[in-house]
Amino acid sequence: MREHPNGFHVAFVGNPNCGKTTLFNAITGSRLKVANWPGVTVEKKEGSVEFEDEKLILIDTPGIYSLSTYTIEEKVTRKCILDDDIEVIVNVVDASSLERNLYLTLQLLELGKPIVMALNMMDVVEERGMEIDLHRLPEMLCDIPIVPVSAIKKRGLDILLHAIIHHKDAVTLGDVFSYSDDLEEKISKLEVIMAAKYPNHSSARWHAIKFLEDDEEVYEEHPVDVSGIVDKSYSRQIIQSKYSYIDDIIKECLFNKSAKEAKTDKIDSILTHPVFGVPCFLFIMALVFFLTFLLGDFIKGFLETFLEWLQQIVSTGLENVHVALWLRGLIVDGIIAGVGGILTFLPNIVILFIALAVLEDSGYMARVAYVMDGIMGKLGLSGKAFLPMILGFGCTVPAVMATRALETDKDRRRTMLITPFMSCSARLPIYVLFSGLFFGKFAPLVSFMMYVLGICVALLTAFIANLFDKKKNKNNLLIELPEYKRPNLRSIRIYVWNKVKDYLTKAGTTIFIASIIVWFVLNVGSRGFVLEPSESFAASVAKFIAPILKPCGLDMWEIVVALIAGVSAKEVVVSSFTVLFSNALEGANLLESIKAVYPAFTGANALSLMVFCLLYTPCLATLATIKKESASLKFTAFSIVFQIAVAFSMSALVYNLARLLF
Amino acid sequence: MGNITLWDAELNKEYTVESILLENNVSRRLEALGINEGTPVTVLTRKRSGALIAKIRGTRLALGRHITSNIEIKEVKR
Repeated sequence: MREHPNGFHVAFVGNPNCGKTTLFNAITGSRLKVANWPGVTVEKKEGSVEFEDEKLILIDTPGIYSLSTYTIEEKVTRKCILDDDIEVIVNVVDASSLERNLYLTLQLLELGKPIVMALNMMDVVEERGMEIDLHRLPEMLCDIPIVPVSAIKKRGLDILLHAIIHHKDAVTLGDVFSYSDDLEEKISKLEVIMAAKYPNHSSARWHAIKFLEDDEEVYEEHPVDVSGIVDKSYSRQIIQSKYSYIDDIIKECLFNKSAKEAKTDKIDSILTHPVFGVPCFLFIMALVFFLTFLLGDFIKGFLETFLEWLQQIVSTGLENVHVALWLRGLIVDGIIAGVGGILTFLPNIVILFIALAVLEDSGYMARVAYVMDGIMGKLGLSGKAFLPMILGFGCTVPAVMATRALETDKDRRRTMLITPFMSCSARLPIYVLFSGLFFGKFAPLVSFMMYVLGICVALLTAFIANLFDKKKNKNNLLIELPEYKRPNLRSIRIYVWNKVKDYLTKAGTTIFIASIIVWFVLNVGSRGFVLEPSESFAASVAKFIAPILKPCGLDMWEIVVALIAGVSAKEVVVSSFTVLFSNALEGANLLESIKAVYPAFTGANALSLMVFCLLYTPCLATLATIKKESASLKFTAFSIVFQIAVAFSMSALVYNLARLLF
Repeated sequence: MGNITLWDAELNKEYTVESILLENNVSRRLEALGINEGTPVTVLTRKRSGALIAKIRGTRLALGRHITSNIEIKEVKR
C-alpha cells in the first residue's frame, strides 16, 4: 500500500452538467464557478478536505460523456483518470438522467479502480415522483458504494467522504457484465498481451476493450501488437452491449419514469420557437444591457454624490488636524478620487454580472447555441461557438478558454479571433465615462450601440473568414439542453463575487501600477523631471505616433498614451485619461479639462475613441490566453495586427460618419 | 419509398433509430450519448435551418442538420 503524506487523490468524474463542481465546492468550501449548461468547467481544479484523520485531495474535472475523447476538455479528464495517482474515482451521477449517466459508469468500472458513486440531484428525482432502487442498483454495478447526495442542499456529503475513505483500497471484483462470447475471447487474449508487456498496469481489461474500439490514444500510449485479434473496430458492438445492459438496469432499478418535465417544455415552446427564438434572445440581451446602463448609471449617481461628500468631509477633517497640504492632496485627490473613480463603475459591473449569472444558471445558455445555430451556420460556425462569445461580455479570458468545448481546431481559432470583439466588462467604464460626458441622456443608448457594433464586427469577421475557407464546415451542432431551474442564489453569489473581487484586485494592482507608470512617464523627460507633461518622454513618443490616428480623429498624444497604457487592462484607458487631463484646469471636471486642451474634441471624437477601444488589441491577459490556447505565436501575432487594423478602419468610418451627422 | 431520417420526423411522434450514417467520430459520439439502433427518439421542435431539439433517453439534445439528416429512423407502430 502506498503512503499518503500529502493526502490521497480523489477525482470527481461525470457527465457534463451533473453537478461535479457544485459538489466539489460544497465539500472543499471552494468558490469555483458553477452554472447550468454543459461545459462550464474546462480545466481540472484541486482542493483538499480533512475527514476522519485522513487528508483527501479532491480533483474536479471537466464533464465527459465517455472515455473516448473528441475535445480538449475531455482529453484533460481522460488523462487525469488514467493517471495512476488517482486512488479513488467518485463518479458523480445525475440521478434524474440515470440512463445516460450510467454509460460512463460502466466504462469507469472497466478500469478496475476503486469507484464510489455520488448519486446527485436526488431531490429532483423525488420531486418528479421517480424512485430508484438503491439496493438493486449497486448489485448490478459490482457492489460499488452508491451514496445519494444533493450538492446544492449539501446533503449526504459526510456519508460520501466516509465511503471514499473506506473504499480506497477496495478493488472492484469481477466484471460488471459480459460482452458476447466472441468479444470476451478477444478481450482475454488482449489482456494477456497487455499484462505481458506492461506487468504493473492496473486497467488491462479497459485497455483491451479500448483496443477493440480502435481507440487511437490507447495505441499511442501503449503500443502493442494486436494484429490477428483486432481485425476491425468493434466500437458499435461494444457501445450497444453497454446500453443494452443499461436498459436492464433501468428496468430493474428505476420506477415511475413518467417524469413531469412539462415546465421545461412549456418554456422551450417560446424560447426555442422556430420564429420567436431569435427575437426572444435579442430581447433578453437588450434587457441585460439596458439594466446594466440605466439602473447602473442611476446607482452610480448616488455613489458619485457620496464620493464628493466624503472628499469634503475628509478634507475638512484633515485641515482641522493640520495635516500637510501635499498629504491632504494625495489622500483626497489621489486616493479617494482615484480608487473611488474606479469604484463608481462597480454598480454597472455588478448588475451586468448578476444578469449574466442568471442567464447561465437558469439553463437558457445552452438554448442560445440552438437558437443562434442558424445564423452561426451561415458564418461557418456551429451554434456552440456562440457560447464563448456570450461569455466574452463578462471577460475575454475565460471566454477564450471556453473555446475548448469546440470540436475542431479551425472552429476554435476562428472563435478565438472574433471573441475579443465582444465587449468585455473592462471596456464598460470607457463607454460609461465618454458617453456620459458627451451624449447626456442618450448615454445608455450609445453604450448599448457599442455592444451591438462589437457583435456585428465579430459576426462579419466570421463571415469573411468563411468566404475564404474552401472546406466548408458541416453543421455538426450537438449539445445537451439541461432542464430549466430557478437560478441558485449561492451560485450567483459565487459568480458575481468572483468577478467583483477580480475587478477590485485589478483596480488595486494592474490599474494602480499602470497609473503610477503613466504618471511617471509623463513627468520625466530627457533632462529629468519636467514641468509640462507635453515635454515628457511619453509625449515625445506619442506625438510621433499621433498623426497616424488623424483619420479617426484621435490624433492627440494624450489619447495615444491612454491607448497604449490600455493594453495592460482596458480600464486603464479611463484612469490614464483622468491622470492626463487632471492638471489641465484646476478644479474643472474631465469634460472641461479636455475642452480646455482640445476645443475641437466633440462627440464624434468620443464616439471614435469608444469604437477604437472596443476593437483594438485586447488586454495582455487575453493575449497570453490566446497564445496559450492556440499554441501559436503566429496566430497570436496575426490576431493583434488584425484587431488594430479593424479598430483603425472602423473608428475612422464612425468618426467621419458622425462628423457628417453632428 | 426510401427510409426517413430524423430530419424528416414529425413533431412529438415517437420513432426508433434505425441506423447512423455519419463519419466515425461523430457517430461514436452519438452512440456514447445513447443514440443506438432501436433507441426511441421524439422531435420536440425544429427550425427552418434544420437544427432541431430531440428527446432521447430522458434528455434533450440540440442537433445540427448534418447530423439529423444522416440518422435513419422508423415509426413506432402502436
